[in-house]
Amino acid sequence: MLIGNYQETYRSDEALLRTPAVRGWMAALLALALLFPFVAGDYLLYLANLMGVLAIAALGLNILTGFTGQISLGHAAFMGVGGFGAAFLASRLSLPFWLAVPAGGAMACLAGVVVGVPSLRIKGLYLAIATLAAQVIAEWVFVNWTSATGGIRGLNVPPARLLGLSLDTDFKVYFLVQAAAAAHVWFAANLLRTRWGRAFVAVRDRDIAAELIGVPLFRTKILSFMVSSWYAGIAGGLWAYFVKVVTPENFPLSLSIQLLAMVIVGGLGSIKGTLFGAAFMTLVPEALKLLVGALRAVWPGAQAYLFPMRDVVFGALIVAFLIFEPHGLAEVWNRIKRFFALWPFEK
Amino acid sequence: MKRLMHAVVILAAAAGVAASPSARAADDVITIGACQPITGRFAFAGVAINAGLQDSLAYANEKGLVKGKKLAYVYEDSGYETDKAVACFKKIMAQHNPVIMYGESTGLGKAIAPELNARYKVLYGSTSFSSELADPKTHPYSFVSGPTYSDMFGILLEYIAKQKGAAKPKVAFFYSDTEFGKDPIPHARKRAAELGIEVVAEVVTKVGALDVTSEVLTLKKASPDYVIFQGYVLAPIPEVIRSARDHGLKAKFMGTFWSVDKTIIDKLEQDAEGYMGVNPYAYWWEDAPGVRAMREYNARVHPEEKYRPNSYIQGWFTGMVYVEAINRVLAAKKPVTGDNLKDAIPAIKDWDVGGLTGKVTFVNNKAAVGRVYQANPAKGIFEPVSDWIYVK
Repeated sequence: MLIGNYQETYRSDEALLRTPAVRGWMAALLALALLFPFVAGDYLLYLANLMGVLAIAALGLNILTGFTGQISLGHAAFMGVGGFGAAFLASRLSLPFWLAVPAGGAMACLAGVVVGVPSLRIKGLYLAIATLAAQVIAEWVFVNWTSATGGIRGLNVPPARLLGLSLDTDFKVYFLVQAAAAAHVWFAANLLRTRWGRAFVAVRDRDIAAELIGVPLFRTKILSFMVSSWYAGIAGGLWAYFVKVVTPENFPLSLSIQLLAMVIVGGLGSIKGTLFGAAFMTLVPEALKLLVGALRAVWPGAQAYLFPMRDVVFGALIVAFLIFEPHGLAEVWNRIKRFFALWPFEK
Repeated sequence: MKRLMHAVVILAAAAGVAASPSARAADDVITIGACQPITGRFAFAGVAINAGLQDSLAYANEKGLVKGKKLAYVYEDSGYETDKAVACFKKIMAQHNPVIMYGESTGLGKAIAPELNARYKVLYGSTSFSSELADPKTHPYSFVSGPTYSDMFGILLEYIAKQKGAAKPKVAFFYSDTEFGKDPIPHARKRAAELGIEVVAEVVTKVGALDVTSEVLTLKKASPDYVIFQGYVLAPIPEVIRSARDHGLKAKFMGTFWSVDKTIIDKLEQDAEGYMGVNPYAYWWEDAPGVRAMREYNARVHPEEKYRPNSYIQGWFTGMVYVEAINRVLAAKKPVTGDNLKDAIPAIKDWDVGGLTGKVTFVNNKAAVGRVYQANPAKGIFEPVSDWIYVK
């Protein structure tokens, strides 16, 4: 049982992982993550990769919405900018992936600045509508700017190559995606402890008060948009390499909403919550699918009802979460942690 | 906390049950997997396609069409979303290791192609009529179960070219700004020029657009003899036809596969008079041996089904192609593998399917045949106005 957290130096006080137990668990998690691809099949690896990509995008959205309080319904559009950017550079200019993906991120970043500009004047629902407009405009551009995006057919992306190795299987892509996800989690966790990260939170909590204590509102909001869309752009670029084709249909409004749902189910303003949210939104539909598959054995012919029911159950689960745990999965996790921290001396 | 633990235990148990490996397939069972769009935007057709494919394979089992082997059909819903569909594909491949797969969309066909060609190497049929998937160079394992949209336009244009004697017929293309809508247009322009048909207007709209007045006025100005729709299922076709009649436009309206289902006559009622379209398959009500067999099977196994839409017949026909390919591989005394099945498809020539479609010949992984039909609103059905037309 943990009874205190005693630090002797500033350095150890500032560390991300502050107790030996946390460091131990993180090491175990890392070991598991490294072991996983060697035991898992294609299907699980694919899901892990999808989760990794969506987690990066959702993290970006959480920085913007959860930490800075700027609602965005256009996050999929930024993913699209990154995805098409990377795909264009990779397929037309034959740029290697380690240049194409960050370049896609940078393009998304620029798009984020443009979309972020109205945020100085408008907030809340009005900003949501402005970002929605960005989503619609981006989708239109993806479809109609045929020379760059390949139009409605999109672009095919060659597999990423690293040190002469072609990353063409889920197994190989796994390491790329998870490394990128880990780096972005690490960056986000640190960013939020800096002056800028705290400024984000100040703007979210009360923008007038934030301005009074010397936080430049405009710059902070724009920066938040930039960081957020960088994350989305990187996620989009990785998506391009991992699905191997980018079409405008890959980045619809429903993806923006799905990302928002990840952030809300996981926990607004929580990094680990975002990861839980991404896992929940990716794995629960698949788990429900397995359940339907298992039920099919005892009740054949039921799938006509069960397949649509899956979406209903999934929706009900999300609503149930919001009612019983408005702070999201992150808070559920914290409760479990507290339970075991006191265990076996639970009241 | 207790409740949460319960939930965790139940979920873990469910995952355990579902993840347990399926029994190793016996040698005399050939597994066919499918990712079907049973929910989502394409569900209107996906449910029927799935039923058609499933029934077709069950029918083959019942009649013993594949000698000494049984066909097993496993399918899952993939919701018409590319990422989910890829997951579905990989899952079925991992769990059941089929030699044939069926896919839900053009998007899945494109996304899975690199891995299909390099690793999975299974025969792949799909709901798609996209000309992109009918390219043996990039998609050697795929086939289109019928003509592509480009071929359907080719069939309609050939029909039009034969109708008018001396005068140069004028057509307009009316399509949606989707992949589905734009796919055949470049080919259609080229083919029209070759056949001496003038394309007087091209109108592009959103799917399901409701106010079509300005589009109809554009048509009126161009005054085409024929207007061909592409990329819609229902809306805005009925709106355009009604509004065009109101504006006194004399043109004949035509559609491709998805827009020549019986539902369009039900929707238009009397206004469907003269509406035409190309269908690669015979309709449910037609009197041909292949169609009768399908109807008899349904009467016996699904007595509650009095009518099956075109998408059901599409699924049924795809099942027949699978069976034919398997039989050809077995007849050559080769093992039933994806590679051998893939090679069996282009070998299919002048295959008689009992009037379910014309004589089937696969060239460039597609069977480019179809027939022009015209609506008969009094009977509520489409009737053929041409013989089977073959295009290249």
